[in-house]
Amino acid sequence: MSLAALRTSIEEGPAVSPFLVLGDPTPDLCVELARTAVSAGARMLEIGFPYSDPVADGPAVQAAAGRALAGGTSTRRGFELLGRIAESCPGIPLNLLVYGNLVHRIGYERFTDTVSQAGASTLLVPDIPVEEAAPLRRAGRRAGLGHVELAGPLTPGPRLRRLAEDSAFVYLAGFQGVTGVRRGGFSAVLRHVTEVAGNVDVPVCLGFGLSGRDQIVGAFGAGARIAVVGSHLARVVERLYRSPGDAADLLAGYRSAVLGLTGNS
Amino acid sequence: MKPSLRPRQGAFGSFGGRFAPELLTPALEELETARREIVPTTAFREELDREARAWVGRPTPLTSAPRFSARAGLETVFKREDLLHGGAHKANNVLGQALLARHMGKSRLIAETGAGQHGTATAMIAARFGMRAVIYMGEKDMERQAPNVKRMELCGAEVIPVTAGARTLKDAINEALRDWTASLSTTHYLLGTAAGPHPFPRLVRDFQAVIGREAKRQWRREFGGLPDVVVACVGGGSNAIGIFHAFVPETPVRLVGVEPGGAGLDSGRHGATLVRGTPGLLHGARTMVLQDDEGQILEPHSISAGLDYPGVGPEHAHLQEIGRASYVTATDEEALAAFEVLSATEGIVPAFEPSHALAYVLRARESGEIAAGARVLLNLCGRGDKDLETYFSLGRSS
Repeated sequence: MSLAALRTSIEEGPAVSPFLVLGDPTPDLCVELARTAVSAGARMLEIGFPYSDPVADGPAVQAAAGRALAGGTSTRRGFELLGRIAESCPGIPLNLLVYGNLVHRIGYERFTDTVSQAGASTLLVPDIPVEEAAPLRRAGRRAGLGHVELAGPLTPGPRLRRLAEDSAFVYLAGFQGVTGVRRGGFSAVLRHVTEVAGNVDVPVCLGFGLSGRDQIVGAFGAGARIAVVGSHLARVVERLYRSPGDAADLLAGYRSAVLGLTGNS
Repeated sequence: MKPSLRPRQGAFGSFGGRFAPELLTPALEELETARREIVPTTAFREELDREARAWVGRPTPLTSAPRFSARAGLETVFKREDLLHGGAHKANNVLGQALLARHMGKSRLIAETGAGQHGTATAMIAARFGMRAVIYMGEKDMERQAPNVKRMELCGAEVIPVTAGARTLKDAINEALRDWTASLSTTHYLLGTAAGPHPFPRLVRDFQAVIGREAKRQWRREFGGLPDVVVACVGGGSNAIGIFHAFVPETPVRLVGVEPGGAGLDSGRHGATLVRGTPGLLHGARTMVLQDDEGQILEPHSISAGLDYPGVGPEHAHLQEIGRASYVTATDEEALAAFEVLSATEGIVPAFEPSHALAYVLRARESGEIAAGARVLLNLCGRGDKDLETYFSLGRSS
């Protein structure tokens, strides 16, 4: 999925983007979850590589990464699973969320080349901020991979414009904190989305703390073009994986959770 | 090193930098501004010096150790940071950072702790300054260092057990960073070691550098000249950078850091980050890291909870890279033997952490790591009360 295709996709309409961790709950099931999400109306996917020390993540995504690592998925296995997801979800932009050490260890160029060939469209490295991102951006550009920067509720306007420069989109964290479901205070988030969307000339993606269709509709109304749901779905996967049902039950449960977010029911 | 890998902010050669999520940027920038604008002022320095004398117990003495020296075959002098309030060098840093936090208008302190020394020091300064303290501590470390947990609670701190990962220092830092991301407007993260994102490595070093400044002055006055070798244990590396800093420009003085060799380097169960690690990004800095070849951070091992850390302060990685300091290891077993030797020869019960540095000195003459006749300055960075329970549970007969 090329970067140009990502732009086309975003222009066609706002995209709900479920987040999943490669290898969670098992290597095969994560590929099935991706396919299921798309069949339930997800127009984009955000895909995390499992990491031992995910400091930007709350308990639900930490647990998902823990399940993936325990099941034997690390970076190399992750490349392979990413390729399988890209094959089974044609035309769907894949935004990667990868912690800096995984990219640094493999090498910026080798990492970006590999994931680009596997089918990723964009890369967000949450712990490499804009000041330190130049080598990563260079490698990504060479590999045809779009760059995504994280912004937060306290990121000032001039800095937002700097983050947006040469970025495929800006990923705005709705709440100040780690990833996870939150309740209340969402009107301030929406006001901020509108402010950011007016401030930068690239699409705005809203994430961190989204868990329901109402919030997503609000986010799109406020000017977001992408809405990521991560922790909420990680909890759904955890609950279904622990319950006695089989893989078909898990996928059915997951499908209905994604349908609840896309409104495609 | 590719020149492009040199960090843009707070670099030590190719190491250091600020590799932290954007959501922490406001807090780190606020702290850097405070470091530059508040710390150098006369008013801040005077307040720091006054509290360092009156509350922390500075200056600490240099202590000759004739019986230990005879055993080692090397003249060894200790910088007695074990005599500081709280029993370790940690008080230097918590005092400086808490004062700074107060100037910045923060009312809540959070901290990670491994051995419990830094958590205890944070709890104590929070009590003195009337601030709230929340301490993140790995569940495994809470078991290993139970008396320190009680001490922190006695001083009014809330100790939160961390159950993620190996339940040790690394995981406690992750939790503290997560807390700070959500609480930065009211909270200062009082990081306990000279690691983490810029400006922490410099901030912590500058508050710990009093150790080396004092020791250098005292050595000149009491013994003349300078020591030949300065030795300190290295986990995150704050006590080591504290005693090294004043000696870095004195190139004839050898600087040696001693890392935890755990069950032995070949066992894979150790915390020898500089000796056996590879460059990586951990807790906000590019530094040496214990990791696998796919970039997952490995669980370290050491009998000493304070050295049980898979990263290290980036300035040490730099000093190693440029050859200004060298880094070696001592095993759990060597450290325990040194713990016994110092207790029996000098009547000083050291913490397990500096026992690693002591172990190196005890073997260095025989192994040829230090030449005969050299004069050694060793940072005795903490006392051993907190480790007695663990020590006795091992059932050793010394």
